[in-house]
Amino acid sequence: MLNRRGFLKIGGATAFAALFGGCERLPKKLVPFVIPPENQALGESLWYASVCRQCEAGCGIVVRNSEGRAKKIEGNPLHPVNRGKLCARGQAGLQALYHPERLGKPLRLDGPRGSGKFREIGWEEALRLLMTGLDGVRAEAPASLLMLTEPMRGHRNLVSARFMKAFGSPHRVAWDPFGQDAHLSANEAAYGVRDLPEHDLAGTRYLLSFSGDFLETGLSPVHFGHAYGRMRAARPTVRGKFVHFGPRLSMTAASADAFLPVAPGTEGFAALGIAHVMVKEKLTPEAAGAAGLWNAGLKEFTPEAAGKKTGGSAADIEAVAREFASNQPGLAMAGDAAASCTNGVFNLSAVGLLNLLAGNVGKPGGISFPNRLAAFASFGAEAGLLLPPAESGYPAVREAVETMRKGGFRMALLSGATNPAFTLPPSLKFAEALLKVPTIVSFASFLDETTSLSDLVLPVPTFLEEWGDDIAPAGHGGDAITLGQPVVTPFRDTRSMPDVLIAAAKELGGPAAAALPWGSFRECLDKAYAGMGIDLEEARRNGGIFSGKPGAPRKGPKAGSPPLPKAAEAAFAGDPSRYPLVLHVYPSIALSDGRGANLPWLQELPDPVATAVWRNWVEVGPKTAAALGISDGDGVTVSSPFGSLQAFVFLHPAIAEGVAAMPLGQGHSRYGKYAADRGGNPYALLPASVESATKAPARQSTRVSLVKTKMKGALVRTVHPEGQGLYENIL
Amino acid sequence: MKRDAAIVLLVPTVLALALLFPALSAAAPPGQPIRYSHKVHVTDYKLDCRFCHANATKSASAGIPPVSKCMMCHRVIATDRPEIRKLAQYWKDRKPIAWVRVTELQEYTYFPHFRMVTYGKVPCLTCHPGIDKDDIAVQRQEFSMGWCLTCHRGRGVSIDCWTCHI
Repeated sequence: MLNRRGFLKIGGATAFAALFGGCERLPKKLVPFVIPPENQALGESLWYASVCRQCEAGCGIVVRNSEGRAKKIEGNPLHPVNRGKLCARGQAGLQALYHPERLGKPLRLDGPRGSGKFREIGWEEALRLLMTGLDGVRAEAPASLLMLTEPMRGHRNLVSARFMKAFGSPHRVAWDPFGQDAHLSANEAAYGVRDLPEHDLAGTRYLLSFSGDFLETGLSPVHFGHAYGRMRAARPTVRGKFVHFGPRLSMTAASADAFLPVAPGTEGFAALGIAHVMVKEKLTPEAAGAAGLWNAGLKEFTPEAAGKKTGGSAADIEAVAREFASNQPGLAMAGDAAASCTNGVFNLSAVGLLNLLAGNVGKPGGISFPNRLAAFASFGAEAGLLLPPAESGYPAVREAVETMRKGGFRMALLSGATNPAFTLPPSLKFAEALLKVPTIVSFASFLDETTSLSDLVLPVPTFLEEWGDDIAPAGHGGDAITLGQPVVTPFRDTRSMPDVLIAAAKELGGPAAAALPWGSFRECLDKAYAGMGIDLEEARRNGGIFSGKPGAPRKGPKAGSPPLPKAAEAAFAGDPSRYPLVLHVYPSIALSDGRGANLPWLQELPDPVATAVWRNWVEVGPKTAAALGISDGDGVTVSSPFGSLQAFVFLHPAIAEGVAAMPLGQGHSRYGKYAADRGGNPYALLPASVESATKAPARQSTRVSLVKTKMKGALVRTVHPEGQGLYENIL
Repeated sequence: MKRDAAIVLLVPTVLALALLFPALSAAAPPGQPIRYSHKVHVTDYKLDCRFCHANATKSASAGIPPVSKCMMCHRVIATDRPEIRKLAQYWKDRKPIAWVRVTELQEYTYFPHFRMVTYGKVPCLTCHPGIDKDDIAVQRQEFSMGWCLTCHRGRGVSIDCWTCHI
């Protein structure tokens, strides 16, 4: 009989033999292309410039192409947003391209509606089904066509808008769970400009961040990462100081000189405490002239009052106020967690007030409002369609869900990565409402929770295979237009959404055909930019049009004393006695709002703070955990009044007490094998509540309870964030 | 235990032989998927080698022509011949042709075609003698180090180790 050792010997020897066999010298078959890619030389790399669409930041990329295959994505050094840098999510774009679960053929429902069971069909049949649906809707009630997408910009948005307008339906809804509604309203209130500003991080001397995790997620992480590096190290005599207020020590907070924990939703009070000190002590000329503010009620917001609200110390707030005022130019920024409370606009307006008191609006090292429309002046009324939309679209989404439920839509066209069935609060019952629409057509590269509800799925190319243009929401003076081009020949049978819309418009004829008069989306782009008098070939080689000469920025704040933001408390659903902790959710650095969860490279990317991989977790502070009788690595049931899920505990050494934090992005049920079984979906814990002024989604608005629960397996981590203690499940 | 030891030795030996066998058998004259004749194209119709092996001038590998290049002519020329019909079928199906490798050079040797062809002006037939007369291509020249060095010495070009063994 073989004993265990003998068996292992044979196993080892067999493995060696297998390896030895694999060392066959040269490939015996030489397989040339059927049609070779343009300009390729064997063994030589070609680099193509294009645009990254892994998130909304719109970084420029260059992709190494060898023998017709994309091998590596890097940042485009000429691009003003990311200046040659690229984040992990961008790098992982290759996995989307080569993903084994990518859709390569149109899918037709082959089972009960919503079952996610499909069979492959040809494009001819798919387009016939699409046209049958569109013809039927147009004949009876054109306004009952719904288009629900991610926020689009550039000519992709223009094509969609023209299509819907010519079709006769006003129901074009774009959903972005991380929309900037509160920022827009706060900027309007504080600076008189309803737009997103440019933050000159690189030129500032003192940066105050209020829950702004700008180095990891948010509007443009690579741009801010690069600017942050320059703020810290690019000036010979100045090393900018960075102070972070927020509920938890994120990766961004960990990069700060000082992290001051505050309770969720109290960022605005911390900012008003700082403003109080600045005005009281007349620390800047603007603060000295703000007597109006003082009398309007700022005198009530003492550092002591702020400390009481935030759970921090009054002395810290006073010290920060004095440092901020004496190190000009200073800059105050706020991020998603401050914006997505029910009092988001208050928080952000209070932060805006600090910029006004520091007098840094429109100055180097401060904030400015570029005139982004100027680049597209020749487009007239349609110019606005090309710019990045900043709103979440939440009110329109809710209205659309209501209309769906009442049977008001006869057909829905869905597209984009924001996956409403996954990211909307469960109480809206999006999936149930969507299935009331008789015909659902999705444009997608992957089946996810939303697209799998469709009747027809039309496969689209990945961003590495399509033509396009893009305008980034941050990181340039409004003068950068990024151009996208296929970096490889598409190797699945896909058609882009604008191409399908253009073809459908032609079939529909009449006003639709007249509104979209091109043969293809590429022709649309070529004609649009040819009209701007540029060398398109050259521009595509460079990755876009970067004049480097931005037009004059928009006008700054109104003169006179700035208004005092109306103080508002953040509301949290749930009875504190039953749900003792406040839930803080944040987008995952790797998975974003959840769209990255099907890419193994992103799943295996350790979170910079928790160092966990392939699963989500719930973070609590040591004192809170001790009071609840739970310890690091325990399984718990996280329950809110709206849902519950199970997760492992990560004992976070630097999180405000009384807070439980969870990263968003995991918990998919229909996003392929890599995203499946990775823990619960934290979106399912959230209420449908809204930010009170803008009606944007208020994610930071519920309380939860943690109850120790037996769970299978363990959270796999690399190291302890403080380098101490031993985990059993290290990588 | 002796019997165990015999199993330990026997199993990998059999496996290794089984795995190596295809490699050994490939030394026999290759059966190409299409009976392509270099003689017809090069000697009879005077096509330049570099017309089909276009990468030879710019890349380390000379490359095998893509199906689209064959079809540049064979869309109209000799379309009724059985072998050309086979080719047309590949084109119609958009399938690549898996040619069997004819010329082998040890994998520890770096041989940049473009350096020989473009800069050295070495005729193709120096290393591929007689291929222009072949109906079925075979390798007639063994690439021994001595043979390479004779030429390198004669032309006064580098004979440093790392010129070829990088």
